[in-house]
Amino acid sequence: MANSSEHTPEVLAPTPGERLTNFFKRKDVRRTTIHFFLWTALFVVLGLVYYPRWMPEIMSKEMKSAESIMIWFTVISAPIAGIVLAIASNSFMNMHRGDTPPEDGPAIRTHGPIVAIWTVGSLVFALVAIGWGLIEVNSQAVAAARDAKSAITVEVTGSQWLWTFNYPAQGIETHNLNLPVGVPVIFDVKSADVNHSFWPVQLGVKVDANAQVTTVIYTTPTKVGAIDVKCAELCGLYHAYMETDGAVMSQSDFDAWVLAQGGHKA
Amino acid sequence: METATHNEVSGGKRLTSAIAFLFLGVAVVATVGYTLHSVSADSQKKTYATVNGSASVDGKTLPHAFITESVFPDDATARANHVNRTNTHPWPFYTDEHLVLPAHSLITMTLRVYDGGEKLNHDYFAKVVGTVDNMMTVDGQQVSSLDPTEVQHTFTLHGLPTSTQDPLFVNVPLPKVQDADMEKNGSHLVVFSFVTGGAGEYVWNCEYPCGDGTYAKFGAVMGQNGYMSGKVSVVNG
Amino acid sequence: MSTLDKAHTSTRPVPNPKRSLITRLHMGTGVVVGIIIAAIAYYLLKHSVLTYTDGVADPLEPHSNNIVLLGTMFAWSIGFMAGIGAFIGPWRWLIGKDLTDEEILYMAGDGQGVKRYFKYCTDHKVVGIQYLVGVMTLLGVGGTMAMMIRTNLARPGGHFVTATVYNSLVGLHGITMIIAMIIVATGPFGNYVMPIMIGAYDMAFPRLNALSWWVLFTAIPVLCSAWFLGGIPTGWTAYAPLSVQAGPGMNAFIATIIIFAVSTAVAGMNITTTVIAMRTKGMKWNRVPIFVVGSTISVALAIPAFPTFMVAMIMTGLDRTYNTGFFDANMGGSGWLYANLFWIMGHPEVYVILIPGVAALMEIVPVFVRKPLFSYNAAIMGFAGIAGLSILVWAHHMYIAGWAPSLNGAFMVTTEMISIPTGLLFLVLIGTLWRGKPWMKLPMLSVFAFIWDFLIGGITGIYLSDVPADGYLHGSMFVTAHFHFTLMGAALTGAIGGLAYWFPKMTGRMLDEKAGYISFWFVQIGFNVLFFGMFMAGAEGQPRRVMDYAAMFKNSNLVSTIGAYSVGTGMIILLWAVIHSSRHGKVAPMNPWGAKTLEWTVPYPVPLTNFDELPVITSDPYGYGKGK
Repeated sequence: MANSSEHTPEVLAPTPGERLTNFFKRKDVRRTTIHFFLWTALFVVLGLVYYPRWMPEIMSKEMKSAESIMIWFTVISAPIAGIVLAIASNSFMNMHRGDTPPEDGPAIRTHGPIVAIWTVGSLVFALVAIGWGLIEVNSQAVAAARDAKSAITVEVTGSQWLWTFNYPAQGIETHNLNLPVGVPVIFDVKSADVNHSFWPVQLGVKVDANAQVTTVIYTTPTKVGAIDVKCAELCGLYHAYMETDGAVMSQSDFDAWVLAQGGHKA
Repeated sequence: METATHNEVSGGKRLTSAIAFLFLGVAVVATVGYTLHSVSADSQKKTYATVNGSASVDGKTLPHAFITESVFPDDATARANHVNRTNTHPWPFYTDEHLVLPAHSLITMTLRVYDGGEKLNHDYFAKVVGTVDNMMTVDGQQVSSLDPTEVQHTFTLHGLPTSTQDPLFVNVPLPKVQDADMEKNGSHLVVFSFVTGGAGEYVWNCEYPCGDGTYAKFGAVMGQNGYMSGKVSVVNG
Repeated sequence: MSTLDKAHTSTRPVPNPKRSLITRLHMGTGVVVGIIIAAIAYYLLKHSVLTYTDGVADPLEPHSNNIVLLGTMFAWSIGFMAGIGAFIGPWRWLIGKDLTDEEILYMAGDGQGVKRYFKYCTDHKVVGIQYLVGVMTLLGVGGTMAMMIRTNLARPGGHFVTATVYNSLVGLHGITMIIAMIIVATGPFGNYVMPIMIGAYDMAFPRLNALSWWVLFTAIPVLCSAWFLGGIPTGWTAYAPLSVQAGPGMNAFIATIIIFAVSTAVAGMNITTTVIAMRTKGMKWNRVPIFVVGSTISVALAIPAFPTFMVAMIMTGLDRTYNTGFFDANMGGSGWLYANLFWIMGHPEVYVILIPGVAALMEIVPVFVRKPLFSYNAAIMGFAGIAGLSILVWAHHMYIAGWAPSLNGAFMVTTEMISIPTGLLFLVLIGTLWRGKPWMKLPMLSVFAFIWDFLIGGITGIYLSDVPADGYLHGSMFVTAHFHFTLMGAALTGAIGGLAYWFPKMTGRMLDEKAGYISFWFVQIGFNVLFFGMFMAGAEGQPRRVMDYAAMFKNSNLVSTIGAYSVGTGMIILLWAVIHSSRHGKVAPMNPWGAKTLEWTVPYPVPLTNFDELPVITSDPYGYGKGK
């Protein structure tokens, strides 16, 4: 309805401030702005409310970092999604029906400043995402190097279709993954056959298990609770059942469990 | 123009045609589904454990159920031992694929095993895990593990760790029949017991690399249902 | 307008090259010769020194079963091509007796009616329709498998099918859909419409055009044979060493990929050459319709990408037959080598799929909004930027492979940079919509669906490209949902939009609008329900490609299955609309949408050589709008 071609920028006010005010006085722009706020709010809610609700309990810094990336990237991209969807939805509501095409719209072939702002804007957005990611990756690597001395080692072996865990310092080999809380852990992961992917879900880390080579990941469990261990790489017939469980427990509970398994204190 | 337009059909006819086509499409998809399902269902014959008396485990009295099956190197050996079965492939197999066990019971499983063996890919599976006292009896003798180079197959039972189903994990290595005895149709008798929790769905498979000639020897028989893998249903009542 | 037969008979007599072998060959002879050659190959290989085994269980002994099966499959493909007459032209050229004009006209299908769809026909319009039927068949087969997968996952412990069948469903659904999606826009529209859009008489290499379709056709029975050879356990990624371990069905997968790679290489080269060399007078690069630009960039990207997949499959085949150990760590090989080769193809490939779909919608928006395409240059820059960056991002699929953790940062940088050209594509679309009144016809609906779906796919892609988040999400249902939003929600929606848009030109009739709307809403609502459920399952921690799952995922999976049935219903309705409308639909005028590109200046049926006289172009086709 709001076809306001008389309000094209050239015809309008001399000062940029006035032009901007007039721009936002246009009916279609106002409607688009309302749509913008609604769509943005939807994505903010999705990020802030739904992801934390869906995702499992946070039991390590790595899990925390994964979850905050999902939450905050959603929130940051919400205004961009808002602009795109607002223009689309406003346009949708402005539809023309019937068997003949509508009248021609304004012949806007391009708009230099808009293209420039959009491109630079998406560059900034990409740089924020990249910067965030690189800082996280770096701090995880630094933490891993720092904690390596005090860490316990768990040798993880994936085989079709079971996980086994060897604790060399404690001298035990088990089917369940139990870890002491607050102690850094190094997982040395390998495979007895095809590729698997070791995924202690609540710890938020993952690495593939390969034959003949050992891959390593680090984490520090920060909270006591149950954990699920799954395989995240299709490994044949019973891939779906290549799961086990375990727990993050207090140091004393862990020591007791090790003894019960026939091991000894490290 | 006229030659083409007369092909247009009325609204009512169009609707009928569309609805008929929709039903046809759904029917085609459903037929594919039914076919796949029935092909799958064929190989899932259930074998029930029979409860006979009760047993005391860790001071608790539990119903005691028994289940018996055999492991053969191929169907010819099976028929030589009066087990009637014809397989598509000349592969080793467990005689029963889908085991149904009572919940909260002591299960005693008796396996008559006829196959030869070799080395495991992963030594862990030479240990007896998850049975009563982590022990089994082989031809009447109590053992807690086997030499990882002398194993024929394993019975390894596991499931999905969930909040709604009790964990259940059992690993029993089966001792190999020596090559010389194989010719004489020799076998071992393996007996072990484990305690089931609440109702749940689990799977079992073999961890001995018996899919000969393929990578890690886990292809062929190890990659297909019906021989060296199956389901375990733990049911109430 | 006259009927199909009239156009072909009225203009000139039916060519009748007497005693030419060409007139006797068709799909049927292809099948017969293919089967005969395959049977001969099977017999020879079964009893040849190539498959010799001494019966001693030597791990290095060749696997004769795999050799025989692979050889038989390739023999079928070559035999079929011989039987349909693909080699007649080269052979006649070789012996110095090139095809006569009469024979060339005959091969173009002139005056042969429906029969020409079953022949080695060089007319690009025939090849376009063949591709369209092929794509719809593949989508139907792949979609049926998707319904089976979702039925199995409807509830935990469901076991609708066994693990063997389920894993095969997952893998074959994947590869069927990937093949269908690679050709979904460039096959039908790139062949049928594109040469007309640029004002050409035909493709640059008409015989290669026929070759690309019929070679692809021979791959379809090969792929289907996987079902009868025990299926595949590997998913469509076919990671080694699992693929080396897999049963005989894997041979069908390998042969399919190798045959398909030949087809795409030929088609890609043909389309690229046609656009570079055969644009009509005045069609400078800045006047080329955006769909043509997009398709060309897409196929040009496929030309370097697919050979690595082909090489990876040849190596897998050698590992499986002669124990070459390329991917076997125990023999000094590496599974990471496979993963690298695969993803060097795999990531460009998703953009090969995506770009033509977006480009089709960019062709549609200006027509229905009656405004020029907003910033044609941004669109070009977007496509080119995506194509350029996409060859540098492959290892973001391997962040957690443990292969080169120190490279993760670098791949994160290149991957997130892709959001810039992708952003330009959005800008072009919303810029064109801005202040316009969209004419709400079927093709236009797809534009709105695309914007929503691709936005969700894009945002979730940003988390996945970030290494720490990928550490949690990799290999989960979240990834599956993400790439379905981009490949199905974006690319397939774009292709369906293109189908609705070009349907009048390809069939002479309008696509049934009411059925189109109903289908659209069933598909789009179902699709969003389906994959929001899957996002949820993934965020909760459900791995992908699992036949069973823990009870905690039961709600999200049930939601997904309900959505899937809705998508299936919508797709059946769309299929009805396509079949019904192509025979009984409203007869279309020459230019039903009032568009300015060249394909709307030719009548239906499009004459054999498209134009009597090639048009001269003086501007780009987006001169809509008032003012300026």
